Formats: sequence, C-alpha cells, structure tokens
Amino acid sequence: MQNKVESNSQLQERAGYFPVSGAHLYTVLHEVIDPVARVLLVGPFASERHNSYLPWVRWARDLAGKNIEVLRYDYRGIGESTGAFEQMTFEDWSQDVRLLSTWFQSRAPHVPLVLHGLGLGAVLAGRAFDEGVGKGLLLWSPPANANQALRATLMRWVGLEQIFKFGDDRRSASDYIRELEQGSPLEVDGYLWSVKLWHDSFHFTLPAALANEEVAAQAYKKRPVRIVKLTRDAAPLTKGGIVGFDDLKDFSWLFSPNREWIVEVASQSSKEIAHA
Amino acid sequence: MHEAIGKRELIVLDGLGECLRGTYHPVADSSSELPASRGGRDRLGVLFVNSLSLPRAASGDSAVHWADSIAELGYPAFRIDLPGLGDSAGEASTDLLDLVNAGAFASVASVAVRQLVDRFGLTGMVIFGHCAGSVSALYASVASPECKGLILLDTYFHLPQASRPRVRQELSDWARRSRIGRFLSNGYDRARNLRLRLRGRALPGNANTQLLACWKQVATAGLPILLLQAPGIKAQGSKPRVGEFDYIDHVMKLAGRKNRVSVEFVESADHSFANREGRLAVQSHIAAWLVSHFPLTDFSLSAKGTASFHANEGQSGSRKSQMAPADGCCALEGR
Repeated sequence: MQNKVESNSQLQERAGYFPVSGAHLYTVLHEVIDPVARVLLVGPFASERHNSYLPWVRWARDLAGKNIEVLRYDYRGIGESTGAFEQMTFEDWSQDVRLLSTWFQSRAPHVPLVLHGLGLGAVLAGRAFDEGVGKGLLLWSPPANANQALRATLMRWVGLEQIFKFGDDRRSASDYIRELEQGSPLEVDGYLWSVKLWHDSFHFTLPAALANEEVAAQAYKKRPVRIVKLTRDAAPLTKGGIVGFDDLKDFSWLFSPNREWIVEVASQSSKEIAHA
Repeated sequence: MHEAIGKRELIVLDGLGECLRGTYHPVADSSSELPASRGGRDRLGVLFVNSLSLPRAASGDSAVHWADSIAELGYPAFRIDLPGLGDSAGEASTDLLDLVNAGAFASVASVAVRQLVDRFGLTGMVIFGHCAGSVSALYASVASPECKGLILLDTYFHLPQASRPRVRQELSDWARRSRIGRFLSNGYDRARNLRLRLRGRALPGNANTQLLACWKQVATAGLPILLLQAPGIKAQGSKPRVGEFDYIDHVMKLAGRKNRVSVEFVESADHSFANREGRLAVQSHIAAWLVSHFPLTDFSLSAKGTASFHANEGQSGSRKSQMAPADGCCALEGR
C-alpha cells in the first residue's frame, strides 16, 4: 500500500526510529538523490515543537526540493520520540545531535553537512558545531543559554494560562520561576520540568564564539556561520502567532535567503575539497 | 532506522491521493503468540485525528499517552496526520479553521478509517478528536459506516473566527487583569444573558447548523459518544459562562431519547487536556467508556488496565455532569 500512494516528492520522505541509549528518536529523512548538501534540523524545545511544526516541515521540504537532503527529528522524550521527558538532560539532547550528525554524515562523507538550529535547537547545534561537527552552521534566534529558551517557552505557556484566569487567580511567569528556584518541578504545557533541568539550563550556553557572525568568522575560519534573529513576522517559529493561522502562512521570504546561503556554503565546501 | 519499535509502528495510508502518515499503537497482548502488529485483530480500533494544525502527538504529547493507554487496554490505536498537517503530504491553507468547520476532512478521514479497518482486520473504529479535531471526527462519523463510536473533547458547535481583532483581544486581556475590567466584563455578560433570555431557545447566529445536523444524525441513531468538557473561560463549574448559549444542553436535547451520549466534565483539565491531571482524568473516562460500550472478551490486559485507570480516577478531579461549558470560543481564543 505504501509505495502505491506516495507521490514522487513524498517517496523520498522516510520516517523511522533511530536507536539511542534507552530510547528511540523519531526521525524523518527527506531523501535526495545526489544532494548538494545535507542539513540536520535541530528544532525548538518541547511545546514549541508543536507550535512550529508545520513551518518546520515545510522548510525541510523546501530544502529537499532544491536538492538538499534534510534530516529532522524529535528530541528524546518529546513528540514521536520515546523516553520520559522528565528524566532527560541537556547532555542527552546534545548526544542526540552528535549521534544523528554522525549517522547522517556517514551516508556520503563528501557531501557537506550543515547544522541548523532554532531556539534551544540553536544552542544544541551551536555546541555540536563548536566541537567540530558540520561545515556550516545556521542559527535562527539563538538564545545565549538554554535558560532563555525555557523562559520563552514558559512565557508563552503563562500567556495561555492567563486567558482562563482572572484577577488574583492569575499567576505571573515570575511566580512559576520562583517555584522552580525553590525546588518544585513545574508542569509546562504537559511537560514536567525538573528542578535540575531548570538549574542546568543556566550553564548550558551557546559557545562564546557564536556571539555574532564576526566573532564566529574569526573562530571557525572556513566553516561559515549565519545568525538570523527572527522577527514577529516569523511567528510561530518565534514567540507569538495563532495556531492554525500563522503556521500556515507563506514563509518563502524566510526560506529563500537561508536556502541560498546553505547552497553557497555547500558550493564553497565542495570547491575546497576539489582543490585539496 | 526502524519503522517499528516495541509499542509503535509507523504507517502510511492513502488519503485520497495524498500520502497520510501516522503511528500505530498495537495491542500489547502478551498472552498471544501473534506478532504485535497483528495482536489487535477482530477488535475495535481508536483513531486520533489532528486538532486544527497541531501534529498528531497533540499538545504535551497527550495523544501519544492516550493512544498508549488505549492499546494497553486491548484496543489498537492509531494517530494520523490529515492532509497538509504534521508529516502528511498536501498543502493546508490559512483558512484551515473554516475548512474544518465545513467538514472538509470528513471524506479523507473516513477513507483512512476504511483502510485501517481492512488492513488490521478491525471490527470498526472509534474516532477521537479534540477541539477542531472533534469537529472533523463528528463529520467523519457520518461519512464512515465503519465508525462505531466517538470520543469528543471540548467540541464547539459554533463558527469561531480564526483570529480575533487585536483591539478585542487586548480588551479581553485587560478585563482579565484589572478589577474594573472584571466588573465591566461581568456587566457585559449580564447584558448578553438578558439578550439570551429574550431570544429564548433560538440558536445563536453563528451556530454551526451543518455540524449540529451531523450530531443529530449520529446521536439519534444511537452511536455511542463520549463528550468530555474542560472548564471554559469564566465558566462556573460545568455551567457555561453567563450569557453564553448552552450548546451541550442543546445537543443533548437534539440527541433524542435513545441516545448513547455520555457527557463528562473534567474539572482538572485545561482546554488542551495536556496537563497531567487532566490527561489522566481523560484516560480514566475513556477506559471506562470503552470497556462499557465495547467490552473485550479475550484480552487479559483489559481488566488489569481498567483497574489501574479507575485507581487514577479518584485523583482526577473529574465529575459526571449532563451540563458542560459550551465555550468553544475559548478553545480558539486561547491559541
């Protein structure tokens, strides 16, 4: 049944489970024959995944349509991946990036690998890149550390919570943060944030060399870095937006220049390999 | 990469020419020699459809948890992405809400039901939907002869706007924040209540009459339906907000005397039903309802699973009610 119904573009989307320690990562490979580049998409955190899912998938399809092979996945303990979210650490999620990068790169080592991260995914991708993974790095709205990403998620959730509350029943984000800092885990949009996760988030930082593109250019020399701060127009990839409306709008204004940058990185990398 | 792991298997269906992707949660039948993927034969399945544009895992991955728990009970569960949503092929447009409210996904959902019933040898399917997903599920139940029941969470029977004007949104937010705002908001509610009383039993102008007709068709035919409602904005317990039309009361009247509709108010849930307490309460209600309407005779885990769900019930904070808040607007306003 499967092969009959898939159109050409869909035939190359292969969903699967990737084994990691104690869990399976849900992955979707947007397979391309003879790709010019490979991009590992490291998506946003927890509930942000759901809000930004459609533009994220469309971005993967946009890239695949231009001969760029893409691998996207769900963090351990989130979405279609298995594992208990509350037991996960930033180190587990870092390991996911490393394992998937290794597997993805091994498909054809001569094709340049670009890492692309959004929100917390930008911190994860940035750290992997800093360790030497990938020929290029694309960051969308990277926070300085994981705590900033958690706060952004918390703010969005508190905003929704407050819709149902009046006057004194309304609790602010700082009320919830105080609870976490006093040692109580907090459930945010169905995900139980452990106190450890919150504390660790302050120290899980974007490498200093990724503070801006100029510093990155000096630090990583021939491994280009592009940093894009998304504006409100990019909602729900960034804070805000209405589910079922903003996630369905046209994102070509965002996709096109970033895709072109990836193609340029791949082209430069291929020239260097040929020259060498 | 694997397409199947212990309790999950990735599936692909034909969605009227579009490739639909989904996840199958097979029955964990330890007493059977059958492979997991065939362990659910001759049983009723439960199919989850997307809530508006959310992926098939749903908020807080609640659909994953519910599907796992349903499979543990002995009913195979399936979660699919409808065309243009999640991982499925196709293009969804910004008028998605209007399309859902007009029943645009009914045909494709019923086609998916038929394929799953044939492929997994099921006796029929219960369709599960939350918010906009429940609207799709209700439309699909009319189009699908294989549909044997419905589980509907926070269904709305009116035609909401996808996005409210910014001024109105900010005014609502101010009313929630300030004392004066609350006072004015209560005054507004009373004025609406007066208008509601003057109108008598007439439906509001923005009622989704097409959906109500579907409801009447399946409810009067005796289709088992479980309606779960979370507290709405300014709702007083299971009662709707002052001045709002009581759709639940209305649909119960439409359902006729032979209906098999159960309405449950899940006080501990928020609209997403993703919070743990709410999620567990929903799980308990589903378990009790499935076992009561579609009992399994040959599955050893069923009784065990139900017992554990009933144990959770005490903590869930839910209570039975024939009345529930009809504030479907809050569902969409909240996003």
